[in-house]
Parts: sequence; C-alpha cells; structure tokens
Amino acid sequence: MVANIQEKSLYLPKLAKMTKKERFTDKEMFFEFRFDDGSNLNHRPGQFVELSIYGIGEAPISISSSPTQQGYFELCVRSVGRVTSYLHNNLNVGDYVGIRGPFGNGFPFEKFKGHDMLFICGGLGVAPLRSLINYTLDKTKRGDFGKVYILYGCKNNQEWLYQKEVEGWKNRADVETYLTVDKCTDSNWKGNVGVITTLIPKVNFDVNKTIAVICGPPIMYKFVVLELKNRNFKEENIYMSLERRMKCGVGKCGHCQINSVYVCQSGPVFDLPTVRKLQEAI
Amino acid sequence: MEEYIISLEDLKKLADNLIKEGTDLFLPSPDNSRFVRLKKADELKLAPEARPSDISAKQAAFPKCDPVLFYKRDKSTVELKDAEPSANQVLFGLKPCDAAAFGIMNKVFNWDYKDNFFNKRLENTLVIGLACTYSDDYCFCTSVGLSPVSETGSDIFLVRLSDAQFAARAVTDKGIQFVKKYSQLFAKGDSSKSKPALESIKGPARKFDSKKVKDWLDKNFETDFFNPVGDTCLGCGQCAFVCPTCHCFDIVDEDYSYSEGRRMKNWDACQFSLFTLHASGHNPRDNQAKRYRQRVNHKFKYYIDRFKEILCTGCGRCSRGCPVTIDIGSIVTKIGNLT
Repeated sequence: MVANIQEKSLYLPKLAKMTKKERFTDKEMFFEFRFDDGSNLNHRPGQFVELSIYGIGEAPISISSSPTQQGYFELCVRSVGRVTSYLHNNLNVGDYVGIRGPFGNGFPFEKFKGHDMLFICGGLGVAPLRSLINYTLDKTKRGDFGKVYILYGCKNNQEWLYQKEVEGWKNRADVETYLTVDKCTDSNWKGNVGVITTLIPKVNFDVNKTIAVICGPPIMYKFVVLELKNRNFKEENIYMSLERRMKCGVGKCGHCQINSVYVCQSGPVFDLPTVRKLQEAI
Repeated sequence: MEEYIISLEDLKKLADNLIKEGTDLFLPSPDNSRFVRLKKADELKLAPEARPSDISAKQAAFPKCDPVLFYKRDKSTVELKDAEPSANQVLFGLKPCDAAAFGIMNKVFNWDYKDNFFNKRLENTLVIGLACTYSDDYCFCTSVGLSPVSETGSDIFLVRLSDAQFAARAVTDKGIQFVKKYSQLFAKGDSSKSKPALESIKGPARKFDSKKVKDWLDKNFETDFFNPVGDTCLGCGQCAFVCPTCHCFDIVDEDYSYSEGRRMKNWDACQFSLFTLHASGHNPRDNQAKRYRQRVNHKFKYYIDRFKEILCTGCGRCSRGCPVTIDIGSIVTKIGNLT
C-alpha cells in the first residue's frame, strides 16, 4: 500500500494550488490541484485526501483522477458543508488549499488484473470510481484488463458529472457504457429511465471472470448486490467503496469506525464478504 | 523491584525541587474536581482515600483542545507552522485507574501512524501512582483487569504507610532513573513495609466477568437490549469527556483574526448524533440506542478485538457524573449475566 507518512506531523497538510475549476451541476464542481514542487500525490485509485481551507476546516474527499495522470490530481466535490461550500463559492484558480494524504487502502487493482471490469456508479459515486476507470482505460494499463462495462446512473438529466468524459467512454470500442436516469427531465433523452439496478440485466458479462466495483449512495448497495447475486455473481468478486465521516484519516479520531475497523485506514474499499461481517456498514 | 521509603516531608522537598527546575507538577485539586498545577510544594497532599477526580488525568497526554498547527493567511498564500509539544510534567498521586489509561490509549495513537502530539506528551510525563483505598458503588477496576494496587502505567508507585510515610516502588526505567536522580530523598526499604498496607485494601464490591460481557457482545449486535438506555440517554457526551480512555476527537479550525488562527484536535464523543453523520445526510448510527451500543461495544469488544485491551479502567466517572444516572457498570454486569 502507498502511504504518504507525513514526517513532521500527522496533521500538517501540504499546500496545493488550484489550477482548474469547472462547474458540473448546481451542486458539484470539478477541481484540479498541483503541488508547487511539481510532485505527484502518489495515490492509488480509490484513496482519498483530507482537504483543508484554513479558518474553515478539513473534509475528506475522494481522489477522482487516475495515478497515471502525472503532475496533478483531480477532485469532484459536492457543496454540502462548510469546507465544500467555501471551496465552491470563495476559492478560485490560483488559490491554495491544504492536502493531507492520500489515505485509505484504495482498490486492489493488482488483484483485478486479467479480469473483466464492471463499474457501477450511482450519482457522485462516479467521482471515486473514475480514478479506477481511468486507470483501467489508460493506454499503459488497458492491456492488464479484459472487457470494461460502465454503468452510471443519476437522479435526473441535470445531474451528470464528467459529461464529456462519459461521452468519450461511450465512443470507445473497448468499453460498454450504460446510462440511466431515475427520473427523466430532458425530452431529448433516449436512454434508460429507472434506477441503476435496471441496467444490470442488460449487460452480458461473464460472472466467472468479471470484477464488480460499486460506489454510490448507501441505499444503492443492497439492491445492486441483490441484482448481481441474481446473476450468480460471486461475492468475493464484488468490491465497494464505503462512505463514512472521517476526520483524521489516520485511524485515530474514531468517527469512521465500524466495529473494530477504521474505514479511513482499512477501507474505504472492501470486498463484499468483508462488508457482510461489518455490522452497520451498509 | 526496588522499593524505597519516602516521608511526606521529603515528597514535598521533591516537589519543591521539581517546581524549581521548571517541571510542571499536577495533582487532583482540593475539591477533587480536576487536575491542577501544584504551585507551592508544601500544599502537596496525597489522598488515597479520595474518590477519583471528576475529570480524569488524560489531558496530560491528550488535551481537551490541542493545537496541531498554526496558520497565517496572506492575500494569496498560506503559511503553516507545526505546533510544538509540551514541557516536562509530573503527575502526582494518580489512581491506578488513571495511570493505566495512558498505556491503553497509546495503542490507538500508535497502531499505524504515530501521533506525536500524544507521544511527546507521554514521553515528557512521569507518572507517580498511588495505591487507592477508595471505592464506591460505581468503581469496578477489578473487573477490567486492574486493581486499587496495580502499578500499570505508573513510573513510580506510592503506597501510604502512615500519614507521614509512603513506600515508593520504581516501576519503570524512567522511574528508576528518577529515583536515582533524587536518591538523597529516598531511603532504601523493602516490601515488608508495603505488603500489609496493600493487603488491607479491599477494592470495589462490584464485580463482573468482562470475558462473559465480550462473549455476549460478540454474538448480539442486533439486539433491543440497548433500547431502554437509548431512550434515557441525553447524548450529552459527559461520559466520554470525563473518561480516562475515551480518545475520539474532532479537527476544528479556530480563527484568531481574518489572517491568523490555529487548527485544533478537540475531544469528541460517539454519543453525539452528529458524530457519524455523513455529508450525504445518511447517518449509520441514527438513534441513541445505536450510539450507546457503540460505546459499550467499543469499550468491551472492539478495542479488545483490535488492540487486546479493554477500553475501560473501571474508574466509574461516567456513571458518577451522568445527569440521567446511566451506570455502565450495572449495564455490563447485566450483559455478563445474560450469557
């Protein structure tokens, strides 16, 4: 596991400069950050950072870019609390934020090698999964994986994130992309309408060699898992990234604890058999 | 183990030396509400018969509000300064239920990443423990692997022989070095002096089997057992704040001005409803019964699973201070009887 152990203090962030800011939806924005010394974040897909704005606070944010993208990293942030709304409303390109991390285990992509990949993203869940999708689709890594299926659902047509990139996925011959909206709010929409589980029967994957990776709102997991089980998916081939309130990121502060597990350290990515043993997890 | 005899007069001389050297000396306040600095050595009092202070000694290594960094904001830049940990300190007359807590918390603060704020403070702290002759209905140290005479966590352990005389044991290397440094104040003694004094200490009447408690918790996560206590609990968090082993914290920024401030590690508590609230609005512990279940499980199951220690020293503070008289001792006793 990659661990960026801060030498001086666990809680001392490194300053990063905002180099891009783009609005996706009313609630979500996209940001690119760079360290002044040009160094990489050295993260694994699925890890997260603690982002801080001095005087406002610190919040855990999933890393949305693949580590194959060098020299910068990207976050997709929903404006919900103090830190995230300040980031949206008051910080601009050229401003600095504090970054601690990367933290957490990330996806065990070494184990995924040679498998077909089924990505199931609900809403903002596409942000952390994009780090692994783009890693898988990177031309230096594409050969490590078989077929790639991307299932992505949103509440309505106004909520798409990474819209241009999703178009790019749709246009790739080596990717099958399936989109759905819970509720259609665009008369030009020709795609599927219904919750994300309605996409699963449409995909012709081989359960013997496919890894499913899920990220979305807590309610989604139970139903997606049920649907995958209907297709005889093996539990050990189902991975999910769990949301938890995290403060320290280093397994001390207790907020993200599920039973005796610190999600910020042992997670946020777990396979389904592990999640089944964690009470209160989903 | 080396055992010494020290008179109260010489303990005061010792305190005087320490104060003059600039070491911070802490002991329970006269009203026993909390730990305070000893300013004058002749005010030193050791009271093994007193109840545990209302607030534990954990602040010595894990302060209520602990700055972790200082920041200065300019128009476009931010300057950061790491916080410097504490000076040397001596804790005087700690009860075994307070002294043992540091070693228990040490596990979580060092299991993967090292928390140097905790570590530096602990490193700079000398713990002088004191055999405890107090017990009430809330105490249960003997049910969690400790006792009124356990030396765990003490560098030097005192046993009162008479009002004017104490036996002193050098428990750790740090304690041995300390006694060496002030050897003119410590007379050679032997265990024949302290033995009768220790044997006369009975300890708390309450007793439960923590192994049985864990056995039941291992098998009963989904349970309505915690519903009544969940209905009673106010979620005020005092139990965590007075506890010597509770170590959950929040990270919060405090602005001094528009351009300067500090980032704090502040105590937090799993009994607060916001403790686990996600940004999305989802809350995995959405009622007080679940939060109380977490408290009991963390102390008597999860921490053992992870770190092989019970996250409780049986001091009884949480129960003594609870505004709605929730008594964790009687709750886990009940659990122990369920298996």
